[in-house]
Amino acid sequence: MISKRFRLFSIVLVLIMLLSACGAKPAATGTGNEKVDLTFWYWAESDAPGADAWMTETVEAYKKVQPNVTVNIVPQSTDTLISAFQSAVTAKSGPDIASQWATGPVLGFVWQDALVPVSDYVSQDEMKNWLNVDENKYNGKNWGAPMYLIGIGVMYNKDLFSKAGVTPPANGRWTWDEFTSACDKLKAAGITPFGIGDKNGYGGAWWFANVGIQGLNSTEDLRQAIIGNKPFTDEMYTGWYARMDDMVKKSYFNQDVMSLDLDQGVRQFWEGKAAMAFGTDGMIKQALTDVGEDKVGVMQTPKWGTGKLADAGNATQSISFLITKWSKHPQKAADFLKFMHTPDRLTSWYKHTGVIAADARFDRTLVTSPTLKQMMEWETTGPQVWLENFLPGQLDSDADLTAGQTIFAQSGSAADAAKLWQSVAETWRNQHPDELKNWQNWQQ
Amino acid sequence: MRSFIRMKSSSGLWSRFSRTLEPYLYLVPASVLILLVFLYPIIWILQNSLWQNNADGTKGFGFTNYRLVFQDPVFFQVVANNGKLLFSVPIMTLLALFLAIVLFERVRGWMVYRGIVFMPYILAIPVVGTTFVYLLGLNGIFNTLLRGIGLSVLAQDWIGSAKWVIPSISVVIIYRELGFGVVLFLARLMSLDKEILEAAEIDGANWWQKHAYITLPQMSGVIEFFVVVELITMLSWVFAYVYTMTGGGPGFASTVMEFYIWKHAFAFRSPGIASALAVVLLLVTTILIVLQLRLRRRALDENL
Repeated sequence: MISKRFRLFSIVLVLIMLLSACGAKPAATGTGNEKVDLTFWYWAESDAPGADAWMTETVEAYKKVQPNVTVNIVPQSTDTLISAFQSAVTAKSGPDIASQWATGPVLGFVWQDALVPVSDYVSQDEMKNWLNVDENKYNGKNWGAPMYLIGIGVMYNKDLFSKAGVTPPANGRWTWDEFTSACDKLKAAGITPFGIGDKNGYGGAWWFANVGIQGLNSTEDLRQAIIGNKPFTDEMYTGWYARMDDMVKKSYFNQDVMSLDLDQGVRQFWEGKAAMAFGTDGMIKQALTDVGEDKVGVMQTPKWGTGKLADAGNATQSISFLITKWSKHPQKAADFLKFMHTPDRLTSWYKHTGVIAADARFDRTLVTSPTLKQMMEWETTGPQVWLENFLPGQLDSDADLTAGQTIFAQSGSAADAAKLWQSVAETWRNQHPDELKNWQNWQQ
Repeated sequence: MRSFIRMKSSSGLWSRFSRTLEPYLYLVPASVLILLVFLYPIIWILQNSLWQNNADGTKGFGFTNYRLVFQDPVFFQVVANNGKLLFSVPIMTLLALFLAIVLFERVRGWMVYRGIVFMPYILAIPVVGTTFVYLLGLNGIFNTLLRGIGLSVLAQDWIGSAKWVIPSISVVIIYRELGFGVVLFLARLMSLDKEILEAAEIDGANWWQKHAYITLPQMSGVIEFFVVVELITMLSWVFAYVYTMTGGGPGFASTVMEFYIWKHAFAFRSPGIASALAVVLLLVTTILIVLQLRLRRRALDENL
């Protein structure tokens, strides 16, 4: 009898041990010795050519520091950046680290409970070095890691200015009247004053972010119109379209603006066909190569508005790197993001891309061109707002991009552009009551 | 003996039953595949179109998405753009018919021409779209040619102006789809009884009379088929042209239903609205498909 009980006990014990073994976590969990695979849906190359090569190098460098961690980079396409991650969020499965454009798109995913705050896994000591982190601040936490800063300046061709008798602004910025007067002179000299492309809508979006912002006192003003407390038809929001319309009518832009995408429009400047153009640091760097280091200058966007944001800078981290809620290794993911900000990686980033890193530890002496140094100065001094980041996707696509095209294509008036904003905002509010509530609750 | 009879009769019943059932069993794999591939997505979209996000994060069930679609002013512009594209169908049909008849009459080198006309149809739409973007730009090749021959006044911003963008896209669609029509019509022409045409020639019928009164009536079935297929194409198969050529712009001037559905589904995070739009599009195309089936049946009846 005893032996029978003993046998039964032994069998149960063995079963329990087997079951425990099946359910147990690997012994090495949490010790730092476990093999970890991180998947990183990565986007940056379009903003900063050279970013993909830098990432390949960074992953290899990280392997030497953390041999047990493998980072698998999955490059993302611009067109599907939001939609691919949205699919992952719906399925609650996907990368450990994702890439999304700052503020609006990032918060859209925060509100879907798809992310964990980066600030929960990265110390304040580290994060205080990261620049522009407030772009993704919500509920007192930071939800995205920046890598670089992109700002937009107005490039000008010194030779073409000289030919038309135009003097560049002494303090780096014209008033609107000075700007239009310069455009008149350039046009009279047979030179296209401003080169731009808007077939893809981004030319208009850049005007909104650089010129449209100048009527506002804060991003809160914009939020009030988005949630329906103020009308977009108000002068402070859309009054600037009249100035843009005036510029189109006076042929201050290249005639084929609607046949060209934004970057193709900038090429007009590189080829010496236009006297001015908007340019990111990368575009300016290209202009310095193509047109000549001594022939290209930069200025800030001419000033027309009297809002407090009229003097704000426009630098943005553009893309933010996010840790997903379903990641089994959020701390490891955060550690890799921290590694991307080590001094060696920051220096390598600039060498690969020519775009400044969003980190106070970035060695500024690497930037040697006076023109690019000036850009860096503007991008890291004072408040920085890229206004397009503060729009819901539908408003950006159907109002911001579309209203700009309406003016550039002359298929409607400035008043039509303003009405379009109002109409699209109403449609968005009706179609997205859940998103609207989040925007209403968002204290900027 | 009785048991033998019962056994025999039951085996006869079984064999009759299995004979009846057997063909259906063969159809099962294909039916399951069709249900999975076609019916399941339709049911899923229908269901999705009825779910609406509420402000409190819950989901409501009803027709709200449809109401919101019909309240959206952009929706009507988008529908109008699809409507404008439909005008290219008769042009395409007439052109395809004309070319098919010309080739049918064995012009010298007709097989080469047939190959050339059909070639665009085998090109990927993004390739065609991107190429035409370069051709039709304000300073593109087409306008450069016009300016070169002193017709600067005709040079337009073909894809950058709201006025010309839909006609320009139509031309590109016609360019690509024409080959399909020509090959389809040519195949039908080759199956016609040539003796009737020869008899008409002997009777003194001219080119126009011959084709208007003899060829075309015999081709009505295939023409109707082509027209309906192209109508469906214009409603629900033009996304790639719009995406690669214009991105729906300028403004909403070239935004079509498929593109608008795609934006809502993937860029605006509104799958409910996208599904409601898709159901509306499905209804319209279903009407056309039913029309096509009825026309084909009528054509079949007439031939009988």
